Amino acid sequence: MLELKPMLSALWRNKASALLIALQLALTLAIISNIVVIVQDRIEKIERPTGITVEDIIALNFMAIPQNYDMTGAIAADLELLRALPYVKDATVTNQVPLSQSGSAGTFYTQPNQEIGGENSNYYNTDPHFIDTLGLNLVAGRNFTDAEIQFSDPNESPEIAVALVTQQFAEKLYPGQDPIGKPLFDGSGSNPIEIIGVVERHLGAWVGWSNAGNVAFFPSIKNTQDTNYLIRTEPGKRDQVLKALVQKLSERDPQRVIKTKVLSEYVARSYARDNLMVKVLSIVAAMLSFIVALGIVGLTIFWINQRAKQIGVRRALGATRTNISRYFLLENSLIAGTGIAIGSAAALIVNQSMVRDYSQPELTLMPLAICALLVLLVSLAAALTPAIRAANISPATATRSV
Amino acid sequence: MLKMNNVRKSFRTDTIETHALRDFSLEVKEGEFVSVTGPSGSGKTTFLNIAGLLEPPTGGEYLLDGDDVSNLNDRQRSHLRNEKIGFIFQGFNLIPDLTLFDNIDVPLRYRGFSAKERRKRIEKVLEQVGLSARAKHLPAQLSGGQQQRIAIARALAGEPRFLLADEPTGNLDSLMARQVMELLEFINEWGTTIVMVTHDPELARRAHRNIQIVDGQVCDLRAVPEQPAAVSV
Repeated sequence: MLELKPMLSALWRNKASALLIALQLALTLAIISNIVVIVQDRIEKIERPTGITVEDIIALNFMAIPQNYDMTGAIAADLELLRALPYVKDATVTNQVPLSQSGSAGTFYTQPNQEIGGENSNYYNTDPHFIDTLGLNLVAGRNFTDAEIQFSDPNESPEIAVALVTQQFAEKLYPGQDPIGKPLFDGSGSNPIEIIGVVERHLGAWVGWSNAGNVAFFPSIKNTQDTNYLIRTEPGKRDQVLKALVQKLSERDPQRVIKTKVLSEYVARSYARDNLMVKVLSIVAAMLSFIVALGIVGLTIFWINQRAKQIGVRRALGATRTNISRYFLLENSLIAGTGIAIGSAAALIVNQSMVRDYSQPELTLMPLAICALLVLLVSLAAALTPAIRAANISPATATRSV
Repeated sequence: MLKMNNVRKSFRTDTIETHALRDFSLEVKEGEFVSVTGPSGSGKTTFLNIAGLLEPPTGGEYLLDGDDVSNLNDRQRSHLRNEKIGFIFQGFNLIPDLTLFDNIDVPLRYRGFSAKERRKRIEKVLEQVGLSARAKHLPAQLSGGQQQRIAIARALAGEPRFLLADEPTGNLDSLMARQVMELLEFINEWGTTIVMVTHDPELARRAHRNIQIVDGQVCDLRAVPEQPAAVSV
């Protein structure tokens, strides 16, 4: 038989301790629910598709030692050598390595000489093998051709005529329209660059950038002192190829410094802060839950010791062990319920401030409800052992004078 | 009503075993008012605990209403306590955070009565003990005598056939003690069997029969009006 009314009135007469626990639970819920939403956001960010077959790609950077090095010739020869290596599916040249926290970006417009309303985007100067090497999915239009590649010196501004863009960037430039054949203007002026193809997805250089999905690809190779190759291997053969390729390139031309790194390493470094935040916040949430649970255990044990005689009297009057443990669990649920009600309101208020001031994700009802349930379960689990202990108090306690 | 045959109760620690009751045999008939006296540590409270099913005996046989209740489990003892036995404690043992109404309600809730039935019973017993107007008060707002009357009301609300009183006047002045005693006699006249543990020989004499316990055994059984209770060895 539930004893809600007398239980509530008894709690009201001892409201200080109950309120302290309720506030502790409220604070925990407010903090944990906001931690959960941040962790969830970071995990979503880490796990979002890059559009790239990250695990099979090797990034190679080389710097030529001699001045006036024939970079154009070296690139052609190197790529031919790389593509001929066993287990290599394709290789490409690029000015920047995707997802490496190092890249190039600019503002692009849909009208010539436009000064406002542009869209920021990463861009890559590359060749027609970029799509296959990175495993990108061409969803509209066509790829570059070799004939469209513009070779230029570092100080030259080549007249680029065509571009590939990501679907996200295309939608921002031309919302709801077919972007194929439409022009793109870079910040400098009036030369139209025709969009000839759209790739489904590609994350650019900076994973934390809100425009990371805005990417343009231009058929352009600059004759600089250093450049990057990306090499895609057959699945599971990356490390084997990695060992062989430096030796092969050095044999072909020893006058350069070559550095290699697998793309997954770049990705891991790019998300290192997010991963650290997920771990730290998860530990904070777990420790906070543990401390609150300890508080509840402590207070419930204190209450039980304080009310040992009363429990004995209840037992003498006919309460079964189940009645007693249920009483304490129900009492705890009432306190937890109060804490959850206050905590939910506090969580939403704190979240509004975090959304407004720190651009953190919005707390929705579902994670809040899950956190509230979690807090309730932690609270009940913490009260369970003391409640069972209370149930084991002998009814003979009622007749003891001390 | 209550029959104990060679009941034993011992408490054991790591180093010592204490025999609180030894071959304790006693019969209390329906409608009797029996007082239990004896020196401190003689086993009165242990007897009361076993009689009230607050703890099981170590050995022997205990029959309540003809049923052997010596080996019932905790749940069965709880139900039987709730249905058949009313308790009155020396320190009243009212729950301080509950109103008088809610205090009396405690055993009725465990009994599973409807809210309407509980209210009816509570109002009836409050009237019987003359404290209807104080139903919403807390125990601390009452005198000792009034608190004991509420404790008696709580014991009576379930209409038990058997009332166990542990020093019911021990914490009261003589006037209050007399009032409580008169109330118990009145209850007994209605037909409720009462077993009362007391140190007070005057009160003991007012019972139908006095039982003297010494060293965990019944020492003498005699009709009280004719002869005062005394230890018989």
